[in-house]
Amino acid sequence: MVAATSRNVAVVGSAQTQLKSAWSDRQHVDLISEAVARALLGTGLRIEDVDFVIDSGSDFLDGRSISNCGFLGAMGAHHKEESRVEEDGLWSALYGATKIASGSASVGLIVAYSKSSESDPDNYWTSLAEPFTQRPVGLDQNSVAGLFAQRYLTRFGVPASALRAVTQKAWAAADGNTFVDATLEMLEDEYWSQEIASPLRRSDMARPVDGAVAVLLASKDVARQIGGSPVWVTGMGSAIDQHFIAARDGATLPAAAAAAAAAYRMAGASGASDFDIVEVSAGSTAGELMVLEALGLAEPGKAIELYADGASPGLNPSGGALPADVVMASGLVRLHEVAAQLGGRSDHAPQGARRGLAHASGGLGMQNHCVITLETS
Amino acid sequence: MTNIAIVGTGQTAHSRRRLDVSQAGLAREAVVEALADAGLTMADIDSVVVASGPAMFGAVNQPEKWLVDALGARFKPVVRVTSGGGTGLAGALAAMNQIKGGVAKRVLVVAYDKLSEGALQASISTLYDPFWGREFAVGIMGFSAAYWRARMDRLGHTEEAAAMVAVKNRHNSMLNPKAHVKKEVTVEEVLASKPLCWPIKVLDVPPISDGACAVILAAEGDAEAITTTPAWIRGMAYYSEADNAAHRSMLQSEPLKIAAAKVYRAAGVTNPRRQFDVAEVQEPYTCFELSYYEGLGLCPEGGAADLIASGATQMTGDIPVNPSGGCMGANPIGATALIRLAEAAMQVTGKAGAYQIPGAELGLVQAGGGWANLRGVAVVGSTKD
Repeated sequence: MVAATSRNVAVVGSAQTQLKSAWSDRQHVDLISEAVARALLGTGLRIEDVDFVIDSGSDFLDGRSISNCGFLGAMGAHHKEESRVEEDGLWSALYGATKIASGSASVGLIVAYSKSSESDPDNYWTSLAEPFTQRPVGLDQNSVAGLFAQRYLTRFGVPASALRAVTQKAWAAADGNTFVDATLEMLEDEYWSQEIASPLRRSDMARPVDGAVAVLLASKDVARQIGGSPVWVTGMGSAIDQHFIAARDGATLPAAAAAAAAAYRMAGASGASDFDIVEVSAGSTAGELMVLEALGLAEPGKAIELYADGASPGLNPSGGALPADVVMASGLVRLHEVAAQLGGRSDHAPQGARRGLAHASGGLGMQNHCVITLETS
Repeated sequence: MTNIAIVGTGQTAHSRRRLDVSQAGLAREAVVEALADAGLTMADIDSVVVASGPAMFGAVNQPEKWLVDALGARFKPVVRVTSGGGTGLAGALAAMNQIKGGVAKRVLVVAYDKLSEGALQASISTLYDPFWGREFAVGIMGFSAAYWRARMDRLGHTEEAAAMVAVKNRHNSMLNPKAHVKKEVTVEEVLASKPLCWPIKVLDVPPISDGACAVILAAEGDAEAITTTPAWIRGMAYYSEADNAAHRSMLQSEPLKIAAAKVYRAAGVTNPRRQFDVAEVQEPYTCFELSYYEGLGLCPEGGAADLIASGATQMTGDIPVNPSGGCMGANPIGATALIRLAEAAMQVTGKAGAYQIPGAELGLVQAGGGWANLRGVAVVGSTKD
């Protein structure tokens, strides 16, 4: 029988740069090395102790082929095993956790970053579309999010005006998160009124930001040597939907449900209610509701109820991806957030939290999903 | 530790331009063949790893998402691992870890590139730092030529020795039904061919191809139930080297040596020249194959020219290298590393047909990418240990 990943791998350190719309005075390597250096702090581990590096970034966003090659030094990967997973960094974490669970390595560094201010994030999204039938008709992340939001709101009878509560909760949480450069004052009238893809407005869309995040994974033995309160990986799952928009349901995210089911099975969890913290990544407000329903936090069409005042202290305590979407790193930021909140390293953790869930999405209309669950001893 | 085996392999018909299929169709063609080879269907596959070259090569961002429909992979885990030219091996390594780490039992790895659809050397040029390097970078050929020139003086990697690599690999390609370049050349023709970036000449360079390769991996126990001829992966590693720092000589590849040492230790290889029956290496230019002979320990440092001249790496020699023809027969960059792995697996399971090395039991695989700073090594065998 193969090794079980569950509770054999721990997050022993993690850190992120501040996330902001443009780090114009810093290069990629500066952001990456800051996250990596700070992830090692307090663990007693040095970069020499790291066996391997798995990283996520985008050649298209970086404007650079095999862009990991340019950042190997900053990532501390020199003379180490290294691979680029060109998905959100949460998939890199999944890879890293399997490598440690397999017994092939003891300490792995997971790095993800994006610097979309140096690029055109709209082109990044448009170039994801298959080039023959979807790209020529102008499908992009906005139009797909709008189509799916329309279908969701119509099917479940949710008014578009209700989405305002999702934005408000996310931005209020981000306002209290020192690692996100977002304030409620940024939400001026134009932000609420600018139409992007009906029924979605600017305020419904995830805001692309610059930033980097690093997560240090270790085997059970190394985690015990470090001491403190390791945060264990208990479950992992990922699943992808079909690419062609017309083949998808639009109002539900069955791939997210499949990813969550796999993670719950591995973690021995009965469902989403087992988790005190849930950090999700979504491209739009309506998309966030669909993610929460796919994870099982609410019945289909009912996730908006989670946004009533004070109803869900454990839902995206960081603010989630809407105020700060690090494109290739939003999911790994969620993992860092859950680990920091469970490990007593965060100033915005809900009280008494022991179990948490991190979610990532990728692709046009959130085609791909990854879920990792964590627990403190 | 769980042993992992290759239980099925498949390759497309490679060609300069596959106008009859899209990227998704190309990948599907290799997957259909691999599934048939293993006697499995997509319903038997738990997870898919897509490995392809830099996304700009094919001008589609994160192309694995497009491939899902054609592969029948809906609701399965699908992830893309990309690591330059060696990405196929990096993808296989990710798949091995998925199985050993307990998140999947059977993993399909599919690697491809459709180089007819992008601007290859222009895309490669963007590899260089936008502030320091890109303004004088010309694809991947410039620095490769510079390093070969240095190896000429220090290691005796002459133009004649490299020409012999071209002659050997193009000769071997004649027997490989999947190879699309079928033209024998002589040492004189290689030496007289047009310099592209001296000492690299046209006939030192492999073709640019459209093609895909698929490999199915399974764990011990399951693997023997799937096939009577599993090819056991006895070791695999993929190492990196940061930056083109001035203090590095590049005469020998450091990540290649580190990867080889690790994999040889895992596989119990102490005398590679004697123990390996066959090797498949990824030679983006002829000069690299010479360099790999030394980095992989098939000969001492500075011994590569003598090794090729001795005929030892010919199909009939004691350590045949690239009986498939290597990249000279077909070079769909993102797929070439996985093709090397598949070819070595075919050799140790007696499935290599006209270019089978009789009795081959232990095979060596080398792959790499980036600016020659990403290097992978694997060992496959007909037995588990």
